[in-house]
Amino acid sequence: MKNFSFVNAESKEAALEILHREQEKSCLVAGATNVMPFIRNRKLNDKTLINIRNIKELRFIRDGEDKIEIGPLTTIHDLEKSEIIEKFAPALRDAAQNFADPTTRNSATIGGNIANASPAADTATPLLALQGVVVAESKSGVRRIPMDEFFLGVNKTALAPDELITMIEVPKNPGNSASCFIKLGLRNAMAISVVSVAAALELAAGKVAAVHIALGSVAPTPVRAKKAEAALKGKEFTPELLEEAVKLVAEDISPIDDVRASGEYRKTVAAVLVKRALKKSGNL
Amino acid sequence: MTKHEIEIIVNGKKRKLTVKPNDLLLNVIRDEMHLTGTKYGCGIGECAACTVLMEGKAVLACMILAVSAHGKHITTIEGLAQGDQLAPIQQAFIDQGAIQCGFCTPGMVLTSQALLNENPHPSEEEIRDYLRGNFCRCTGYTAIVKAVQSCAHQEARGKK
Repeated sequence: MKNFSFVNAESKEAALEILHREQEKSCLVAGATNVMPFIRNRKLNDKTLINIRNIKELRFIRDGEDKIEIGPLTTIHDLEKSEIIEKFAPALRDAAQNFADPTTRNSATIGGNIANASPAADTATPLLALQGVVVAESKSGVRRIPMDEFFLGVNKTALAPDELITMIEVPKNPGNSASCFIKLGLRNAMAISVVSVAAALELAAGKVAAVHIALGSVAPTPVRAKKAEAALKGKEFTPELLEEAVKLVAEDISPIDDVRASGEYRKTVAAVLVKRALKKSGNL
Repeated sequence: MTKHEIEIIVNGKKRKLTVKPNDLLLNVIRDEMHLTGTKYGCGIGECAACTVLMEGKAVLACMILAVSAHGKHITTIEGLAQGDQLAPIQQAFIDQGAIQCGFCTPGMVLTSQALLNENPHPSEEEIRDYLRGNFCRCTGYTAIVKAVQSCAHQEARGKK
């Protein structure tokens, strides 16, 4: 870690002001659990670290009328303990319970987890399956970015250099209340996933009314399994249908060979995990 | 790099320090305050040997910039005992033989204390889950879990 300056932002307004001034030199830090390793293996240098950890107004979980609202500085520990999350976004609760270890969960935040845009980010797959929306603010205004358009590549998001995530919204869809998340890692603690899956399924009279499936660690960004979703939608939810639909998962993903697993293995396992997640979500 | 004046309350004592923006809380605790009970293990948030309590919550000191800890209350392993009187969790580690080489012990003890603060009567499964990030390369996990359990039972008896 060579050349850094450090600024403390005490309020949202102050953070936006600093982002506006520093532009590309900005590097927001909250829990710092991603930024620190980056700094230490020299992937980041010559930046202005903007500490937003203490901005209390951005740490909340609110139960809105048709959606829940999550502040970006909500820690993973907060998510794990929240009754609102448990009720309306169980996939996110599952992800929080499987996230690294309790010490890291006390520091890491949901905003940082998605802003870092790791293909393996544990909260990214649930937010995709739950059809979340990122609210981003800069000095020039506010915009809403659907999760489907948020991730552009490894560590790349749709956020402009001067934008700050100020809220994450999760709609209260019936399927979201029955959602779940499954992660396969090399060990239970501190593990970066080999494959992770989140699924939200809404059934009406035995038929699939709505389904959203998202996978992590199988492409440059967390991705939706849209072909499998299309094969399920509108049909009667049976083990046979499920068996057929998950065969299509491999077509929506492009996993690579890396230190954790081979691409081939990931393809096989992804289909199995999607099947398990949908069974759990649909009580099959 | 510009230096920053910070104030951290460590084990109840206010400490004024001058740090660089890239100084780790871990290094400041060890090298500036000479509280070497907090261990430098992996340095990348994998082993939890550097665990300290910040505002009562277990966090990894190798993942925190000292400058961002300004104004915070930190408890290190040196701050658990009251004078010569060990904290119950420390005594429990000794009684159960839960210490082998000792390198992971400060982190283990502090993470266990954080668990007991949150949940005074954890089950074995809850203990194992809470300590999942703390590595013991002597693999003395069974005795460590027993120590936390015995402590939970003691507290339960104490309350009755």
